[in-house]
Amino acid sequence: MNSRLQGRVCVVTGAARGIGLAIAERFGQEGGRIACVDVSARRLEPAVEGLKSKGFDARPYEVDVGKRDDVHALFARIEREFAAPVAVLVNNAVFARFEPLAQIEVETVDRMFAVGVHGLIWTTQAAAPQMERRGGGSIVNLSSVSAFNPAKDSIAYSALKAGVVGLSRASAIELSAKKIRVNVIAPGMIGTPASIAQFDEATIATRQAEMPAGRFGEPEEIAALAAFLASDDASYIQGAVVTADGGWTIPAR
Amino acid sequence: MKRLEGKRAVVTGGGSGIGRASAIRFAREGASVLVVGRAGNTEETAAAIRGEGGIASALITDAAVEENVAEIVRRCVAEFGGLEIFFANIGVTGTNTPLLEQTVEEWSEVYRINTISCFLAIKYAGRHMTAQGYGSIILTSSAASLRANAGAISYSASKAAVNNLAQTAANAFAGTGVRVNAVLPGLVETQLTRKVFEDARARGVEAKLGHVTPMKRPGRSEEIAAAAAFLASDDSSYVDGQLLSVDGGVSSTHPYGRIAL
Repeated sequence: MNSRLQGRVCVVTGAARGIGLAIAERFGQEGGRIACVDVSARRLEPAVEGLKSKGFDARPYEVDVGKRDDVHALFARIEREFAAPVAVLVNNAVFARFEPLAQIEVETVDRMFAVGVHGLIWTTQAAAPQMERRGGGSIVNLSSVSAFNPAKDSIAYSALKAGVVGLSRASAIELSAKKIRVNVIAPGMIGTPASIAQFDEATIATRQAEMPAGRFGEPEEIAALAAFLASDDASYIQGAVVTADGGWTIPAR
Repeated sequence: MKRLEGKRAVVTGGGSGIGRASAIRFAREGASVLVVGRAGNTEETAAAIRGEGGIASALITDAAVEENVAEIVRRCVAEFGGLEIFFANIGVTGTNTPLLEQTVEEWSEVYRINTISCFLAIKYAGRHMTAQGYGSIILTSSAASLRANAGAISYSASKAAVNNLAQTAANAFAGTGVRVNAVLPGLVETQLTRKVFEDARARGVEAKLGHVTPMKRPGRSEEIAAAAAFLASDDSSYVDGQLLSVDGGVSSTHPYGRIAL
């Protein structure tokens, strides 16, 4: 297997399941040492045990990324425990609800933006000085095709994921001088249990038929893209948004 | 890294620059590579690959002529036993003649080489790949396809057409297992841009090259090749119809200053 991330400390948020766990595993396969971050220690435990059983240097870290002080303390702890500064950060954690306009509650929006936008500012703020000390780094932020092509009931979610793009590109400008790259992945429909559970079978069939690939993506396919962007193979890619949606958003409908 | 083990690839414009770097990268990842170009350096790229233990041959031909592209595909299949990857990478810059003085002849030649070559790659590689239900076609576009002032006007327009072709061809190939994507380099020192670099060196302002990009430097051909290798490989298996910018961030920001090309 490739070892493009050999020895590098990689922080992956929302690493307990789905796309985050697939990214952690792929980074492990490429030689990365993985700080698996999640809001739930209970969910993290089996995930990290699974990674360790495959021989990867993976460790669990419970934090709510929406809390600035906790995030800063966590990154200091990660550097201490891995005895090396963070080289790669993947902001994958998300809290999302899909609801029609009239039903959206204050608590829902606050939570979504605390995790999905504020959290990215805090992790980036905490990671950047460590990356600078080691001579550079790569940050990969998870957006969504919903940022540009919103689906039904995704008013808050589309705003959240469009926010990720602006945040990332603005960060790319500021952090370029520190040799830190910041790029964005915009997945389409990915067949995680959580995403599949949102839809009935007829909707799933309709969606798949809309995609040139004719199928949902797999978490491993997003992980492969994340590994590329995290690695030096993407050394001249900065502020880019890379869509992985099986061509779903190409055709006009 | 051996993500392309057992794959057969065509790289056009393979004698120098991005094409040469990509042919070498594909071969290092395990692919057999048919290096295509118009000049003698095409054979040098193939020899360099063979010199490091890879598999490659050269074909000297104009990859913007229909029968030649048909022959490129035939030759790859005959020599290596198949074709899974086609990197359509030939290009010309066009001239900076004032817009009001430009001619249809110039535009036709720029479009023939930059755009129609991509159509032909899609047509002939696509016939082979859709029949086998698998393949990746990569088109070289440019950051100039997205914004003004990053290249000649005919060049920029011809590359915008390439972007659209990546999307429309990907859509046309829906359900076939064949993916089509474009890579959009920023400023990279190649045969096309050599004059820009040489002029800058002559004026002692080489350090200013790429200064309008957030990363404050030009790219290297190997950095474009790494992106092309990603798009060629199954690591990009859910990436289809996309425009991948490899430009140091220049297309994602407001410009910092005027680009002198």
